[in-house]
This record gives sequence, structure tokens and C-alpha cells, in this order.
Amino acid sequence: MSMLAIERLSVRRGGRTVIDNIALSVEPGEILGVVGKNGCGKTTLLACVAGVLTPRDGRVIIAGASVWGARGERQRARRALGYVPEGADPPGFLLGNELWSLCAAARGATPPSQALRDALGLDELRDTALERMSLGQRRRACLGAAFVGPPKLLVLDEPDNGLDARRLDAIVGLLKAHAAEGGATILASHDAALLDQLGARIHAMRDPSPTIRSDD
Amino acid sequence: MTAESTPRAARAQWLDVWTRAVIVPAWRRAAAVWVGTAIVAAVIFGPSGMRASDLTGLALHHAGIGGALAVTWLLVFVPTARLLVRAEGAAYLRTLPGPTIAPIVLAAAALVALQLPWVALWVVGEGLLGLGVVAVVTLAILALASWRPPQLRAKWPGWRHEGEALRAIHVRALRRRAGDALVRGAGLSVLAGVAAGLFVRNNQLAGLDAAVVGASVIAIVLVPAEVGVLLVILATHRTTAWLAMSLGTSRVTRIVAVVYAIALVQLAATVIAIAAAYVVTDADLRTIAWLGGTSLVVALGSAMGCARVLLAAEDSPTIAARTVVGSIVVAALAVLCLGLFGELGIGAFVATSALALFTTPVATPERA
Repeated sequence: MSMLAIERLSVRRGGRTVIDNIALSVEPGEILGVVGKNGCGKTTLLACVAGVLTPRDGRVIIAGASVWGARGERQRARRALGYVPEGADPPGFLLGNELWSLCAAARGATPPSQALRDALGLDELRDTALERMSLGQRRRACLGAAFVGPPKLLVLDEPDNGLDARRLDAIVGLLKAHAAEGGATILASHDAALLDQLGARIHAMRDPSPTIRSDD
Repeated sequence: MTAESTPRAARAQWLDVWTRAVIVPAWRRAAAVWVGTAIVAAVIFGPSGMRASDLTGLALHHAGIGGALAVTWLLVFVPTARLLVRAEGAAYLRTLPGPTIAPIVLAAAALVALQLPWVALWVVGEGLLGLGVVAVVTLAILALASWRPPQLRAKWPGWRHEGEALRAIHVRALRRRAGDALVRGAGLSVLAGVAAGLFVRNNQLAGLDAAVVGASVIAIVLVPAEVGVLLVILATHRTTAWLAMSLGTSRVTRIVAVVYAIALVQLAATVIAIAAAYVVTDADLRTIAWLGGTSLVVALGSAMGCARVLLAAEDSPTIAARTVVGSIVVAALAVLCLGLFGELGIGAFVATSALALFTTPVATPERA
């Protein structure tokens, strides 16, 4: 069974078809890199997978449960995923530890392990409000929240954005370890070197005009 | 036009920008306080025929009323004073050369001028003695506005499930985002209680009659107290949306968290108002118990009604206006139910609010 299966997915935003009839899958232990020009629909695709955007048509199945299915199924699907949006913008008044605790409570998991906290340098962000963090720090806080559980599927939108070299290495290590344990990852990135380092399978998105159609 | 401006022109320009960064925001905040006090003044001085000197005289000779009035004004005005005293909006300007005395003089003048309703009450009521009271209270306001609470290390939250986490997050948002609105709301709650108490006292009401009239007065006066807080609760509901959706948090859990946050504020404001009413009225404990019970149930009903207002308007570009109008409608509905049906009206209001909440249209953000 695929960890992530996207079937005939179509999304319209602002009266425009942004994604048209995409189908792809990610297997356990696999890392899928979504690449393409700015505005080609990478962020929209990942937001749809994470259950934040409603598709016009099609299905997103995570670990056998539909993200937009009946209530129980929907919850199962979403509890199996960890999402970092492009803007890394949870409510700014939350402290780092409050964000991780919320994710832990929602997934019925414990707060981030010491190993995860060390890798991402989360301890120094524990008592800091997200609105006072730099972009890189905010991204690290969001990555920490996404890894809590850990979830079966990671949905990461430009996770390398704003990170320094040391933390970038840590992310590569964490994602490889997650894959080695059978977890799957779908991430959007403009950094070919990062995707290379991760050994990611590449999914190229086409230009949005007039519509996007997947290669898969 | 020359490339270089004279030192005098540069100072004037600096002061102009400083005024827009410090005085104008303080004036905007004070305007909300003025509107609130105008509503309360209409209740206190309108139908009961009370004059300014009656109220200031009561305050000077009755420690409870005097204390309640002073605390109310401190709570209501300190958030505005903080903008003038800390002048955080002008932090960047301080890195540029500019006048040092003029901003202090302007801020001091604004600190007094923006207290217009308070100054007018005391000068009209007590003349020169009133000015002395204003001066003493202004010093207290200055001290409170300058105080910065120490920052404590946050504990690791031990939330057991997402509902508990979401409710706690709403409470944190209130503490961190709505501090000024809460302080102002507490002041207006005291004022609501004072107004209700005076209404009951001057009309010599007791028992259920006192409860119906008092609860109606509290419901109306609390409207300006709750609007600022409601907008913060809505902002939290909106900013947690993507997180909640990606975590699989149900809509019902999210609505419960919104109702919880509003109810917490409404109940706290009502408890403050009841305490203030108890201080100013000579009513017996039975009357206060009636007033307390009625007001608390009305507060719960208002919480559900206001939650309906927020959730129905959550995607509207005119959310602030809809929140204000919606809150007024909810308060008006409470007054109408109480006025028409007495004690049965309490149940009718709560039932109507609950029905309105349960029939809130489902808004799915970003629906394709």
C-alpha cells in the first residue's frame, strides 16, 4: 500500500485551474521531491495533501485513509501527516514548546524527543514566541512540530528555506532516518543539491498556463 | 524647495511624525473609551436624573463607590496611557536627532486631554477639588502605564488532547494579544456593575425585578467591553485554521474552543460587574443572588450568541463592523427576552442563542 496516493486531483483558486488531474504516489521509505517554476502549483499541491485546501476533484489517500473522506477517515489521514507550510506561520503568539505540545496532543504523541531537539536546536526556541523568531528559527520550530509523533508522511514546503548549513545537514539526516524507518516524505524545493543529497525521486510540475498536468 | 531643511523645519517634521506615531494611535484608543463611557453616562445620568455632582459626591463620601469608580477609570485608561508613556510606536524616531522636551510636553498634555470624560465628570461635579482628584488619579495611571511585569520562564504544557490544547491556546491568545482589551473590559465591567447597581438602587427594585433590570443594564454596557476581545478570539480561530486542519482537529472542537474563550471572558466580566453592583447598591443578598444568577446565565447565552456572530462572519471583509453590530444585536435580544418574559426570558434567550450557534453555516476556507 502506498503511503500517499493522489488520484485525479484538480484544484481551482481565484477562478483559475491551478492543478489539473494530477496522479502520483509515494511509497513507504521514499522521498519525493516536487520541483517546478514559481507559481506552478507546488505549494497548492502540498496544501491539498495536508488537508488545508479543498480540491475541486480527486482524492488524497494517506496510509489508506482519505484526507477528505468521512470524519473518522479524515482524522486518521491527518494524524498520519506532519506539515510544514511555505510561510512557516503558525499563530505568532505561541511559544515554541506550545506549538510542539499542540501537535503532540493532536497526534496522541509525546513532545519532541531529546534527539530531535538536539538536531534542530529546539531547546533554544522553547520559550520564544514564534513572531519573535527569524525565518530560519520559525522553520526549525515548524519542522520540530511536523516530526512530533513521528507521522508516517511528512509534507514539507521548502523546508530548507532560511536554514543555515548546519541545520540543513540535520534535516537531511532526519529525513533519511525517517525514510529508513518506513516513513515517506513529499517536499517541494528549488534546491537541486538538497534533493540530490536526499536521493529523492523527482516529480516535475509544469507551467500553470493554461493548466498544469502531471508527468506521472 | 531646497535640498537641506532648516533645523527648525526638521524639528517640526520630526514632531509631526512623532505625533502621528504616538498621539494619533492613543487618540484612536481613547475614542473607544469615550464611546463606552458615553453609553454608561447615558444609562447613569439619563433616566435616573442623576447629576455629575451626585456621582462625585457619592464617590467622595462612600469609599466603596469612590474606589470602584477610580479602579474603573484606571483599568479603562491605562492601556491608552501606555501608548503615550512608552511611545513604542516612535522607537525608530528616537534613533534620529530630534527635540527632547517637546514630545514629553505633548505626551503629558495628551495624557490629561484624552481623559476628557473623567476630567469633565470631576470638574463639573467638584470644581477645583475635582481637578485635584484628576491629578492624583493621573499620577497613578502614569505609574501603572510605566510598569513592566517581569517575564517568567514558560512551563511545558501538559495538554492531553487537542480540545484541551486549543482551549488553552485561546486563553494564551487572550493573555498575550488582548491584554489591553481585557484591562479596558474589566474597567467597563466595573462601570456596568456600577450602572446596574445605581439603577436598582435609585428605582428601589428588589428580587426578580432588580435581576431583570440589572442584568439588562449589564448586558448592554458590556458590549463595548467585549468587542476588542472578540476580534482577538476570531484572529486566533483564523490563524490556527491551517494547523487545526492539517492535524485533523474537527470543526466542533474548534467551535467549542471559541465558545469557551468567549464564555470565559463574559463570565469574568459579569462576575466583576456583579461585585461592583453589590458595592454600590443597598440591595439584600437575595436580590444580589437573583441578579448574579440571571446575569451569569445571560452571559452564557451571550457567549453562544457572540460565537455565532464570529463564526458566521469569519470570512467577511467587514468582520469588525459585523462583530460590533452582532454583539449589539445579541445584547438587545437579551434585553428583549428579559423585558418581555421576565425569568422565562432567561431560558428563551439561552435557547435562542444555542439554536443560533448550532445552525451556524459551515464555512470552509479556501474552498476550490
